[in-house]
Amino acid sequence: MAAQPLLSVENLSIFLGSGDAARKLLSNVAFKVEAKSVLGIIGESGSGKTLLSRALVNWVRPPLQVSSGTVVYQGRNLLALPEAEMACLRGREIAYIGANPTTALDPTVPVGHQIEEKLRAVEPGLSRSEARRRVIELLDAVRIPSALSRFDEYPFQFSGGMMQRAMIVDALISRPKLLVADNITQPLDVTVAAQILRLLRDLQRDFGTAIVFVSSSFGTIVEIADEVVVLDKGTVVEAQDTRRIQNAPVHPYTRELLARVPRLWHDVGGIPAVNSEPVVLSVRDVARTYEVKDRTSLFGKNRVQAVRGVSFEVRRGESLGLIGESGCGKSTLSRLLSSLEPPDRGAIEIDGVDVATLRGEALLSMRRRFQLLLQDPYNSIPSHVSIGETIAEPLRIHGLASGRKLREKVSAVMQEVGLSPDLQDSLPVGLSAGQRQRVNIARAMVLEPSVLILDETLSALDQVEQAKLLDLFDNLQRKHGITYLYISHDLAMVRRACSRIAVMYLGKIVEIGDNETIFNAPAHPYTRTLLSSVSTVEEKPFLPKDYLLEGEPPDPIHIPEGCSFRSRCPFVIDACRSIEPALVIKAGASAAACHLGMDDLPPPRICTVARGVTGLQRLENS
Amino acid sequence: MAFALEFFLRRISQGALIVLAVAFVIFTLLRIAPGDPIRIILGPMATPSAMEETAQRLGLRDPIPVQFVRYLGDIVKGDFGNSFIRGKQGGTTGGSQDAGGSAPVDRAPVIELIAKALPYTLLLAASGFLLACLVSIPLGILAGVRNHGWPQRVALYLSSFFVSLPNVWVGIVLIYLLSARTGWLPAIGYQHIGYVIIPAIVVAVELAPVMIRSISVAVATNVQEPFYEIGQVRGLSARAMLFRHVLRNAAVPLLNSFGAQMIGMLLGGLFVVEYIFSFPGIGLLTINAVFQRDFPVIQTVAIFASTVLVFINIAVDFASTTIDRRLKF
Repeated sequence: MAAQPLLSVENLSIFLGSGDAARKLLSNVAFKVEAKSVLGIIGESGSGKTLLSRALVNWVRPPLQVSSGTVVYQGRNLLALPEAEMACLRGREIAYIGANPTTALDPTVPVGHQIEEKLRAVEPGLSRSEARRRVIELLDAVRIPSALSRFDEYPFQFSGGMMQRAMIVDALISRPKLLVADNITQPLDVTVAAQILRLLRDLQRDFGTAIVFVSSSFGTIVEIADEVVVLDKGTVVEAQDTRRIQNAPVHPYTRELLARVPRLWHDVGGIPAVNSEPVVLSVRDVARTYEVKDRTSLFGKNRVQAVRGVSFEVRRGESLGLIGESGCGKSTLSRLLSSLEPPDRGAIEIDGVDVATLRGEALLSMRRRFQLLLQDPYNSIPSHVSIGETIAEPLRIHGLASGRKLREKVSAVMQEVGLSPDLQDSLPVGLSAGQRQRVNIARAMVLEPSVLILDETLSALDQVEQAKLLDLFDNLQRKHGITYLYISHDLAMVRRACSRIAVMYLGKIVEIGDNETIFNAPAHPYTRTLLSSVSTVEEKPFLPKDYLLEGEPPDPIHIPEGCSFRSRCPFVIDACRSIEPALVIKAGASAAACHLGMDDLPPPRICTVARGVTGLQRLENS
Repeated sequence: MAFALEFFLRRISQGALIVLAVAFVIFTLLRIAPGDPIRIILGPMATPSAMEETAQRLGLRDPIPVQFVRYLGDIVKGDFGNSFIRGKQGGTTGGSQDAGGSAPVDRAPVIELIAKALPYTLLLAASGFLLACLVSIPLGILAGVRNHGWPQRVALYLSSFFVSLPNVWVGIVLIYLLSARTGWLPAIGYQHIGYVIIPAIVVAVELAPVMIRSISVAVATNVQEPFYEIGQVRGLSARAMLFRHVLRNAAVPLLNSFGAQMIGMLLGGLFVVEYIFSFPGIGLLTINAVFQRDFPVIQTVAIFASTVLVFINIAVDFASTTIDRRLKF
């Protein structure tokens, strides 16, 4: 008997709207999913992959309309199934996990209770205590620490990674035959995403579930899928074995996609140089603690130590990258640096002047030289004010120009950042994310700042737009000698843009060094973990099996004694438990806060040096 | 537990301050507003010397802060004072007595007047609120879930219609139609439970539009939250999602609008309705007290009303944090 595929999609087309205005979002999509296999679907944003994954569970709502095609699951066409029968399959045999785990559950009911509710809905005979036991067991299996007490915690008390694990539990608790996973690692930090991926692979093996794994990251897809389907503008352009698609892609679009995956070690291109200009910004032992209410004690407060003594210097015209996972204190640090709030301790000096001592006029003129660019290009621009007016506002605040001169300045800066000056009088409605980010850049640049803090500024943009803006930043730096502070979790971006990099963990810098050292010979295990978790399609010097850590950073209320990384470090020694390591210069050119020497860590698997000009050569040439 | 204890300690102490401030403002305003209670107590024929003597005896000539402190002292002892006007036997005696006959001991204690009127008001409020709930909860939920269908339109038209009816007019029309014309229901005063029906309908007509609107908006907002649809994809029925999750989430804004808006409306509405129907509740008591410058009654009712408001809001906030643990008050 020939094996029948578990799921087969034929000729599937979906339209947005109806009649003449209808837009085709998916056209004639066809593929098969074998039982117990993993099918990867890759596509950029806008390729229709989320729509496709929803169609697989018959979750297509008006104005979207299925115009043709079938989704056949074990001989039944899901799209034509009566709602009652579909309801019998959903959550029982076919499970779905979406990209945003934080909004997937009722925020007012404990996570465990909601999973229990689902389990009891799909298996009506189950007793409450039995359901509870099974949920806790599986929560434990996906390595949620202290699953028993977590069972009664609320969604907002879970981190994104924890929540995604809980959603995996929710999906797999009924032992489905098919799991549709729509971009589930996208919002997660690299180390957490790598953990989730490994977990999903293990569970897939144990449960024998077939998975449709939808993602926009090639590096992620190749780690998990047996077969890959490439989706471009709603059509399948290529479907191949994972190994073959990586080594011998046929369709030009697949090749383009592969070429666009950022490289961290191979064919990196020129990386920015370290320079020896005077220091512009000097940060010394800055710390910030927030107090939050403790519900369990009378008038009790918890102290959240967001930043715990950070020191670094940035030279004129240099780009420093601050990397770290969510919750490491990056954003608090950027708030301190842009003097949105004062540090509890330590000093931030700009050209040797302590910012904390400034008041009134002096503070205002300091702020002018110090601009902050944020991540969200939508909420950072007022929507009822014309673009020109938005960009002109800082000039008015600082009284730098008015009337005709103001208009000229705005127009000049718009041209500089690549916005047409014709847009001056129009509203930001209809601007793309990239254009909006340019408005933000123009608004900052119009003050001719000397330091720009880029707090995840490029994270919301796609790779093409990101590359364009990086070029723009490069040009602006060369022209005006601006200093950049990139605050980001995107290692590939930092690799390309920064001459020096600082790695933050739990409110402290654990390693700081030049770009080349951080990526090729880092001395801190955490830096290596980050590098090992990046999803790329190239060979990596650090492999997840050597470094991948379990769990998540401790919460900043209860920071462990000794080295703060010790709870997750694979190489922990006795000294780590009691003595907090200080930043010391290691064998490379970096300073790391670790008791171990370079020889105590596994050697890099491959040795690569970025091609193109290295920092030193670039300096000599200039 | 610790959280609840701290919450109530903090909120009750804040609430006490608010009530105190309200009491002081009312107390002062009553005494600086025109209209002399002595004239009403003693009637138009009283001599100036008799009036002055009575005023002295009632303490009305002392400085306002002194009067206020004395008043507070009495309240602490559980004495809210005696009505200026009403006798112990009930019935108004104003205007028919000489100075000697107005001894405070012959007057009804305010607290008794209120205790007598309160059950009627509670009955009317509860039946009006219940009636409003009967209409607005199903309609509001239906309108919220089918945000683009007929229930939404019905809800909108019905609440627009109700909201544009003045309650005085509704009261009179209902008295005419249901009582005077047909004799189906009694309308004026109170002798048995039947007397509550028409006034309760009037109260309900006033509350229903606000309730329908806030319920449908709260439900619609939560139906649009991702968890509602994802819940169905996870394998839960739309019904379970609606009753176990959407309504739970919708309860938070509803509780707030109840505490902030509807209790105020209910109190205001009751005053008017009780007056139209001569319904012997707190509202009628207060309105008569205002006409008669019966300071002790007005003051006590004001303090009482603000205490109720403060406590309902504390309860509402506590319920909200219990439902949604992200909230902090």
